[in-house]
Amino acid sequence: MSEKAAVSGKFVQFGDHIDTLETVDTVFRAQRKLSFTYGAVFFGVTLAIPALSVWVPAWYSTPIWGGFTANYFVVSLAYFVFLWVMAWTYSKQADKLDEELMHIAEAIESKAKAGGAQ
Amino acid sequence: MNTIAIVLVIGLVLFTVGLSIFSRRFTRTTADFYLAGRKVGSFSNASAISGDYLSAASFLGVAAAVYASGLDGVWYAAGFAGGFMVVVLFIASALRRFGEYTVADFAYGRFGTSRIRLVTVVAVLLVSLFYMAPQMYGAGTTWKILVGTGFFPAGADGLFLGVDPIYLSGVTVVALIMMFYVAMGGMKGTTLNQIFQFWLLWFAMFMVVVFAFGNGFNYPAELAKASDGTLVATKTITIADLTKVDPKSGKAPIDSAKGVMAPESFAKIEEAVAAGDPAAKVDILLPQKNKLHETRTMIFGEPGHRYNTFDQFSMVLALVLGTAGLPHILNRYYTNPSGAAARRSTFWVLIFIGTFYILSPIAGLAGRSRILEAWLNGTAPTNAAYVDGFLVKSDALMPALAQILGGQWLMGIVAAGAFAAMFSTVGGLLIAAASAVGHDVYEKYIDPNASEAKRVFVGKTSVIFFALLGWVLGWAIPFFGLQNAYPALIAMMVTWAFAVGASAFVPMLLTGIWWKGTTEKGAISGMLVGLIGSIGIIFMNIFQQLKFPAFAADQGVIGFVSSLTFPVLFTFPLALLTIYVVSKLDGNVPVNIDEIWMRIHGTAHERHERDLGLDKVGSMFGGPSK
Repeated sequence: MSEKAAVSGKFVQFGDHIDTLETVDTVFRAQRKLSFTYGAVFFGVTLAIPALSVWVPAWYSTPIWGGFTANYFVVSLAYFVFLWVMAWTYSKQADKLDEELMHIAEAIESKAKAGGAQ
Repeated sequence: MNTIAIVLVIGLVLFTVGLSIFSRRFTRTTADFYLAGRKVGSFSNASAISGDYLSAASFLGVAAAVYASGLDGVWYAAGFAGGFMVVVLFIASALRRFGEYTVADFAYGRFGTSRIRLVTVVAVLLVSLFYMAPQMYGAGTTWKILVGTGFFPAGADGLFLGVDPIYLSGVTVVALIMMFYVAMGGMKGTTLNQIFQFWLLWFAMFMVVVFAFGNGFNYPAELAKASDGTLVATKTITIADLTKVDPKSGKAPIDSAKGVMAPESFAKIEEAVAAGDPAAKVDILLPQKNKLHETRTMIFGEPGHRYNTFDQFSMVLALVLGTAGLPHILNRYYTNPSGAAARRSTFWVLIFIGTFYILSPIAGLAGRSRILEAWLNGTAPTNAAYVDGFLVKSDALMPALAQILGGQWLMGIVAAGAFAAMFSTVGGLLIAAASAVGHDVYEKYIDPNASEAKRVFVGKTSVIFFALLGWVLGWAIPFFGLQNAYPALIAMMVTWAFAVGASAFVPMLLTGIWWKGTTEKGAISGMLVGLIGSIGIIFMNIFQQLKFPAFAADQGVIGFVSSLTFPVLFTFPLALLTIYVVSKLDGNVPVNIDEIWMRIHGTAHERHERDLGLDKVGSMFGGPSK
């Protein structure tokens, strides 16, 4: 990294852009909410599969399509579609969040600059 | 010897070396050597990550596990893919924003002491070596199936240095090639090679499945056929064990084998028993038991062949959490140009490896019927061993199936795919291990003022050293007889590497990124608990399998802990808890925590880069990075 970064305990500056504790905290909280919500869904679904395999006979023993049981179908095919949909929607939402947070950060920045100029 | 296969593998080797020489002119700085100048686009980076990730265990091992175990084998595919969700959700963009070279850099940057950097380096090396071992073992066994000849002289006992000389030739060839091409090309050469190698191995798996469907494979019908009746599997066993009566059931394995083996092959087993050598080994076919639902018949399409209730959960967690603990995968995230690109890369990785992992179980299932049919027709490949049409070593499934479905050419493509899988993974591991020593230790502590040329030289020397160490591991596995203790050794050893990574790194990374209150003492304690705990339990399990009396199952607590095949369910929460408790007791967060926090979660850097157009991907060959 050759960009000059001005750093203090209160802000980080790259070129015209500043991160303050306040903006970063906003970013962090929003990002944490998004990641952990998706994380809960991911672990919920992933651990539900072995749970069903252990405790629900219809899940692992009843054929639904040729030799496919619901269990085999999910582990060999549907789980991957689940991962793709999750990764895609998460990436899109995280990009959108980045975008929104940049605007918030910029707004706070320009407010701080305006305040400094007065 | 299969001429087409050998020509294709030699072609792959020449291409690999050529690409490394070509990329050499672009490896001028350490950022180039370790990070490909941070200029790898999402698609290329995703292909390279996939190449890094899909190893011999995935290429040969997943289809083999499905062939041998049915649904429990399919879990490998789902779990290996699921791991990337943890990476994309919790780690990818934060790691990239932090903007360093390695995981050890992250630990140092976040917690601020040399002590934690060095602990991380040790953990990186151990995880990398754990992952390297099955790759080298895979190299030797694949060489043996494919080439079937070697260059080391066999002693009177048929061995060289205590192991099979043909196997050791394969290990040696792969170690030498890796040493040469990684040291030559650095991360750029390795990245280019990994992109090519990934698509080659994907194509090989795709072709096997296309040929299977062309051969009349019908997924639901085939699955129904495979699930009709008790699952049977082969086993290599000594005469002593074959005839040993289990006090619980009152039956010996030979009684069970009699029920499922063809009369003529069972007659040969009886002859071997009559010969009276208790140490002699025979290959038998056995009906399998359901470990999960003990009263149910074990069939191909149901869970329970490999895992009991505890292991069903533990295995999934090991795979899902372990991916985020593999240093050679994490290092890849630093080669993305931005946090958003890191997420996009991961999405593509999931598409690439997801399609691969959908195909692998199809190959495994197709093998179940096609190999048996070929054996009955007398057209099964003669270089593999069978019992009544079932492969004795399931790791030979992919080459055997390819030969049956598409003859010498398809077998050649599969062989090249298998070596591509090994090269790309070992390449990533060597770069990760070399950067741990060269970048994290040498550049930081031994000679911080070293010239750029000297730093790259140290990186290359480290690559050579670790390739030699890989060779030693490849030799040691059969020397100590590990392959006899674990039937599906490649997949098993990879799962160990995942377990160690998941226990040592993931708690530190998760808390370091998401909990401001994590202290250096907490992080170190957690890493040590995860690292020592997981490695300790794995070795206890190995000692139990190798029948060391002190670790036997009836030895109370030691026996119980030794029986844990996957330690993650214990060691991951334990490490996480340790970090929490020690951090709370310590309370000594880094003095510059706000600044660190802004680095991990702040966006000013990315906004600035966007202004300058630096978030766009440039050419990997645009010269040294800015």
